[in-house]
Amino acid sequence: MIKFTALNKWYGAHHVLQDINLAVAKGEVVVVCGPSGSGKSTLIRCVNGLEKFQSGSLIVDSMSVANGANLRPLRMELGFVFQQFNLYPHKTALENVTLAPIHVRKLPPKEAVSRGKALLEKVGLGDKFNAYPQQLSGGQQQRVAIARSLCMQPKIMLFDEPTSALDPEMINEVLDVMVALAKDGMTMIVVTHEMGFARKVAGRVVFMDKGAIVEVAEPEAFFTAPENERTREFLGKILHH
Amino acid sequence: MTMDLLLDQVRGIVQYYPVILKGLGVTLALSFIGIVAGTTIGFLLGIGRASSNKWLAFVVGAYTDIFRGTPVLVQVFVVFFILPEIGVELDAFTAGAIALTNIAACFISEIVASGIRAVPVGQIEAAASAGLTRLQQLWLVVLPQATRMIVPSLVGQFVLLVKDSSVVSAIGLLDLTRSGWVIVQNIPNGLLVFSVVGVGYFLICYPLLHLSRRMEKP
Repeated sequence: MIKFTALNKWYGAHHVLQDINLAVAKGEVVVVCGPSGSGKSTLIRCVNGLEKFQSGSLIVDSMSVANGANLRPLRMELGFVFQQFNLYPHKTALENVTLAPIHVRKLPPKEAVSRGKALLEKVGLGDKFNAYPQQLSGGQQQRVAIARSLCMQPKIMLFDEPTSALDPEMINEVLDVMVALAKDGMTMIVVTHEMGFARKVAGRVVFMDKGAIVEVAEPEAFFTAPENERTREFLGKILHH
Repeated sequence: MTMDLLLDQVRGIVQYYPVILKGLGVTLALSFIGIVAGTTIGFLLGIGRASSNKWLAFVVGAYTDIFRGTPVLVQVFVVFFILPEIGVELDAFTAGAIALTNIAACFISEIVASGIRAVPVGQIEAAASAGLTRLQQLWLVVLPQATRMIVPSLVGQFVLLVKDSSVVSAIGLLDLTRSGWVIVQNIPNGLLVFSVVGVGYFLICYPLLHLSRRMEKP
């Protein structure tokens, strides 16, 4: 479904992604973690073309991301959830959710609205259709953002640190939605430090450091017997509190 | 000055009401054209000014800087006296309307561009990620947010335009200011006559100021 092959990216002289090789199968959930500046956000942003790369290839849903003409058809099949939610502040929750289905998928507005309402109900926001983003808590905004992506009926969902900007008590309400999505069989790449989430639903965990993939393992092996010294060091930092 | 003379002069001005009304009408018409056409063209220029196409942004910036950096009066003269030299004959009203629309568009362009730049990049990324085209991103996501931010500056610009429209009196157009000049020939009380003219401008501008204040509230 997603295949990175020898992908490299530089910001000027800074080599931010180094020889990335990674394949994600349909229905698989891959969690990407690593210290800040390790390139994990850059990696996930390459998948839907928000970041360009200079060499190697990246095939998503049988389309090459490097080909600019593929970008729009590709993005229609990819949901992207941002750390900062990025809801449209001038639109209500329901309008946020239905905008792209109506204007990009050309869905009749009535159909988009009923689909949008069903999704907002599914993420526990059945009473917030007409609320504006600034009237919602961070956790609620992020759930609207997830519903907004799902309303396009994407084949793949990408999450870029979806809970990092949230107050601790709101993290679970967002993770619950993501767990349900994973259990429904959605193909997902999730950049996160929520190791509980990784343990629960990830097929594999990817550890990145300094722009390179250091270790890829199933969660059990990743947490109990990490092979790489840097992985052990990182896990030691985030797990022992 | 005796009270009688003052009353006479007031009565005299009142008798000139057709001239004042005509001047008011011309000022209103010029302001309306300048605001509507200037805003429309200003948005188009502003979109170009904020474009990621550096060349386009530079050309628009250079164009608007030329007009923002020269007096409106000079621009009115150029349109009215110099264009005929190259075969473009314009009546005073058309010349005035063109010059005022152009200068309004130049100022509004910078306001619009600043509004577009103030929309967080995350908004554009979210819209692009959902598959919206560049035009849809602009129309559905960027411009509505930019417009909301710039309304107060925009209305401020409209008020300036109404007042700047007085420069057309210099090419003989009978606007509100010129109607004052006409009346003062016969009623030699400049303070009184131009107070009336000033009130006329204020009556046009006040609703705009009021509107802008109301829109600034969330």
